[in-house]
Amino acid sequence: MAMQVVAEPIQRLIEALTRLPGIGPKSASRLAFYLLRAPAEQVQELAAAIGELQESIVYCSRCQNLSQQDPCEICSDPSRDMHIICVVEEPLDVVAIERTGVYHGLYHVLHGVINPVEGIRPEDLRIESLLERKEKEPIREVLIATNPTMEGEATAMYLARLLRSGGVRVTRLARGLPVGGDLEYADEVTLSRALEGRREM
Amino acid sequence: MLLRHLSLTNFRNYVRLELDLAPGLSIVQGENAQGKSNLLEAIAYLATSRSPRAGSDAELVNWLVREEPYPYARLAAEVEKHQRVERLDITLLPARNNHRYRKQVRINGVNRRAIDLVGLMPVVLFRPEDVELVAGTPQQRRRYLDIALCQMEPPYCRALSEYNKTLSQRNALLRHLAEGGGDPVQELRFWNDKLAETGSLVMAKRQWFINRLEREASLRHLDLSGGFERLRLRYLPSFDPGIRPEPRQRRYPSTASLRERGVAYEALTPEQVRASFLAHLQAGLSRDLAAGMTLLGPHRDDLGFYLGEYNLRTYGSRGQQRTAALAARLAEVTIMTEAGGTAPILLMDDVMSELDATRRAMLVEALTSVPQAIVTTTDWEDFQTPLLEHATRLTVHAGQLTRLSAPVETA
Ligand SMILES: Nc1ncnc2c1ncn2[C@@H]1O[C@H](COP(=O)(O)OP(=O)(O)OP(=O)(O)O)[C@@H](O)[C@H]1O
Ligand SMILES: [Mg+2]
Ligand SMILES: [Zn+2]
Repeated sequence: MAMQVVAEPIQRLIEALTRLPGIGPKSASRLAFYLLRAPAEQVQELAAAIGELQESIVYCSRCQNLSQQDPCEICSDPSRDMHIICVVEEPLDVVAIERTGVYHGLYHVLHGVINPVEGIRPEDLRIESLLERKEKEPIREVLIATNPTMEGEATAMYLARLLRSGGVRVTRLARGLPVGGDLEYADEVTLSRALEGRREM
Repeated sequence: MLLRHLSLTNFRNYVRLELDLAPGLSIVQGENAQGKSNLLEAIAYLATSRSPRAGSDAELVNWLVREEPYPYARLAAEVEKHQRVERLDITLLPARNNHRYRKQVRINGVNRRAIDLVGLMPVVLFRPEDVELVAGTPQQRRRYLDIALCQMEPPYCRALSEYNKTLSQRNALLRHLAEGGGDPVQELRFWNDKLAETGSLVMAKRQWFINRLEREASLRHLDLSGGFERLRLRYLPSFDPGIRPEPRQRRYPSTASLRERGVAYEALTPEQVRASFLAHLQAGLSRDLAAGMTLLGPHRDDLGFYLGEYNLRTYGSRGQQRTAALAARLAEVTIMTEAGGTAPILLMDDVMSELDATRRAMLVEALTSVPQAIVTTTDWEDFQTPLLEHATRLTVHAGQLTRLSAPVETA
């Protein structure tokens, strides 16, 4: 039997943190001990934010982004350009593109990319709802902004074939983003250029 | 290009090594199990980011430190090139689940991918096990081709790495498709294109390399064997990259004779191979689906060594196999120097002892023709006095290296 060196609540927190992506045992214990010594308000604020996370967040039934309301703020904003949809992998990509301030259309969030090794096939992504939007909404252009990784390219190609009919332009972010890189980490200037220099697929 | 300094920490039986290396020939003498092979393995690992012998990186970490809370191993090289010094280092760190290690590669202190490292310090390593090149498995021969080509041609290395990633994706998809659901043609399209795009670069370059290898190796082989029979080398691909099956061809093209005799195209362009590969993938779809994996492509390539009509793998004597393998290694040095633009560092791990006088003389000739060579031996007697006098001599005992002498200056 292992000796109980660390008090049980700390051990429990460390274990919970270790399950998060990108956090190993070492950083988990660093975080745990940091929180132990942090001001009470800060810890309560964090606990509250985590607690409310899943209760207050819903999927927007139109663009599939995560939001506090359905339809989301962007989908219900009448000043947005309704003729163009930008397709992204993850909600954070929407944040990155909004930050550039050069794009004023709508979005569609796939929640992943085609990745057979991980068992992710087209039917696991929010593609069906995108095809429905193409039928129902006055779309003229679909801009595919998946990451320039092999899986992102595979998804872009797959979507392009499905979307390319009925007078809809299908475009792709310009190259220039680092290959294999994430939109999420691209700087604003690079991302703005990639948006402006998009090319026909 | 010269390796000026090597540092090892917790690498195999080297707990700590700081070694300055001289240009020209260095000879390291040591009894059995003192660290001769480990030293050359370390240099080869820094050059190719792979061990020539270990199955997993965990084997490389000194086994006494493996029990420590944070075990790691580090290899670092200072390489001099055009009067500039580049620093290459690889650290092996424990991965999440503790029995595996991940490697962190840095070039001049900046984190890089392993494939960025390959080629910065080209080496050719001769080992007694080289006979496996002829006698061993197709996988060992593909590895030989890949290590030589990756060190000479960064685009080859990138294409190969992308090919392997695409192959895993395509194989996973084939297995999912076999379980039912989904449209194979739609879902496979991207992976087929990507496989053909990257695989065609790999195949075209392999054919090119094998052609050069045959020319150089057959010359060496005549000298080594003192014989009359010409050594032939053939590319043995899994499909004929020079032909395109019809789109609706019923019978799957037979590969039996291809695997026997191989192909010998003067030159193959990537475009040509790409079209052929794609057509073969389409024609082979139902077989791939049934097998749940990709049956054709450079991951199934082989390389044949022949004397006359006979494949040395099956019919060669051990001695014939050894001679052919040695000829291929020597040829690799020449090709790398000419096509790669830099003479590689020659590493020879105790290969003299089992050779006769003629063959030793040829190796010595190779050793003295490159800017830097590092050779190990159990017995100084393997080398003649004049050569010893012009070499830097070191001994190794239990992971400790001692310098015995600097080379005698020629008057
Ligand atoms: N991970 C490791 N940690 C510590 N020691 C190791 C490790 N791997 C191998 N060794 C030991 O290192 C020693 C030297 O091995 P090496 O293969 O370099 O010997 P060598 O000098 O080439 O001997 P030989 O002349 O027999 O080929 C051996 O005793 C071997 O068991
Ligand atoms: Mg040895
Ligand atoms: Zn929305």
